Amino acid sequence: MKKDKPDQIPNHVTDIILESVSDGVFTVDHEWRITSFNHAAEEITGVPRDKALGKYCWSVFRSNMCEIDCALRRTMKEGKRFVDTAAYIVDSKKRRIPVVVSTSLLKDESGIVLGGVETFRDMSLVDELRRELDARYQVGDMVSRSPSMHRIFTILPQVAQSDSTVLIQGETGTGKELLSRAIHELSPRRGKPFIAINCGAFPDTLLESELFGYKAGAFTNATKDKPGRFAAAEGGTILLDEIGDLSAAFQVRLLRVLQERTFQPLGGTKSVKANVRVIASANKNLAGMVKKGTFRQDLFYRINVVRLDLPPLRERKEDVPMLVEHFIARLNRLRGRSVTGISQKALALLLSHDYPGNIRELENSIEHAFVLCPDGEIEPHCLPDNLRALVSRPTTNAKIDTALQSVEAQVILDALKRNKFNRLEAARDLGIHKSTLFRKIKMLGIDLPKIDGRTKRKRVH
Amino acid sequence: MKVALTVWENRISPLFDCARTLLIVDITDQTATNRYFEPFHCESPSSRAAKLSDLKVQVLVCGAVSDLFANMIEAHGIRIIPFVAGAVDEVIDAYLTGTISSSKFQMPGCGTARDNGYRKKN
Repeated sequence: MKKDKPDQIPNHVTDIILESVSDGVFTVDHEWRITSFNHAAEEITGVPRDKALGKYCWSVFRSNMCEIDCALRRTMKEGKRFVDTAAYIVDSKKRRIPVVVSTSLLKDESGIVLGGVETFRDMSLVDELRRELDARYQVGDMVSRSPSMHRIFTILPQVAQSDSTVLIQGETGTGKELLSRAIHELSPRRGKPFIAINCGAFPDTLLESELFGYKAGAFTNATKDKPGRFAAAEGGTILLDEIGDLSAAFQVRLLRVLQERTFQPLGGTKSVKANVRVIASANKNLAGMVKKGTFRQDLFYRINVVRLDLPPLRERKEDVPMLVEHFIARLNRLRGRSVTGISQKALALLLSHDYPGNIRELENSIEHAFVLCPDGEIEPHCLPDNLRALVSRPTTNAKIDTALQSVEAQVILDALKRNKFNRLEAARDLGIHKSTLFRKIKMLGIDLPKIDGRTKRKRVH
Repeated sequence: MKVALTVWENRISPLFDCARTLLIVDITDQTATNRYFEPFHCESPSSRAAKLSDLKVQVLVCGAVSDLFANMIEAHGIRIIPFVAGAVDEVIDAYLTGTISSSKFQMPGCGTARDNGYRKKN
């Protein structure tokens, strides 16, 4: 016999479905007391069903929305559904669990409102994956999405494992010391000391005693032996910062140490073996100094075994948003603050600056903003005066989209210049597809010169 | 002695991290001698801990609290009685009579593991 209606699903099937879903689901009556609580809700909140039923929803759910902006309360008041509101709950172990919440009214067959239903999803795994994804752009305390930095990040583990002398070149504030620390932490020497010394900060005689130490009686008031930085870094890594500032005489002394891997403390008679990995850094172009005769060629070749060139921030402005996020998270941790982020206008200001002081300058700007903006978002008025002065420029006086477009155009033009206007290379450098680059060039109205990287290359080969 | 409670709608606030009102109770010889409300709009862990410290609070009674906030407050030498739920007057009475740790005032699932804890089934 043919059935007129499909079979009704028995009520208990709904319970089976609710028990099998991975989203937490609970319902409340008009008094906000929990009337049902599924298995996933038990798993996520850590509260057993028998303890949750009949209790006020806020004492079980304990989210940041409960007191201030409860989605379920709004649903009950306005009769509207709310979908995927981001929030967090705190479990009995004081852990914050990120969740997304959806709410709707609970009605019976005749449409009478029985209460509300809230479903929530544990986003911990998504957050963890997001962090892992971000870790791809992070080495040690350095973060970058720029292709030039990514190339350095990719080879860094091999460089670190090699034990070869490394030369790091980059403008002041580009993170030379951070990179050296990252190399040390990735190397087999991690766990041993990492010692950094700024060669430009000491006159020759003082630098010698600082680096190699001295013996008692080596000079007036030298009453006892003092080990130097090379001895302190035994088994570890020493960073010779600003090596380009060394005097010609000291360059010879250092060359001997690097060649023979031994040093002689001031006033000592015996050479001491140095099991230390040397990393040298310079904010000047050492090859150029060699040509001018201000830096010894033999020392240059001794330290220039593996060279890493850190690009200045103005050449990788695409990193500014990520660096800002990184500094905000770090300062929130260090200072126990809750700055949530940066406003679009403030970010546009940061993007339109050239950063002669590089990442250190950006970090200081964020620290400055932390003083003036204790919580919420960083707004333009929180930034240092020199950045705010940029507001008066016509580009940033315009709408936010215009300001962002002008920065985008500048970044593209910089990439093209770096790659001698070869469009394909520039697209690779920017990490975008060449057709995207062409589209952006057209859209932003960037004037390109007639020269083309490809034509020049073809002529050479 | 000063005891602070985070309050909301005449109950203990569900989550300390975003509670917006403090009730300060002065206690002498097991009796509440004075009580007054204080706005609690600061957001960061350090500013919340500093505010409690400035108010010379020695004990904080609150609902759920995340570890970052709890650690910062304890670092200021303030004792925390967390995961408390219930009507404010009843909670104050329970504190004065030493019965605040009874299950009546515990948030669900926040007592001892044997009593309340939910165990994940593998």
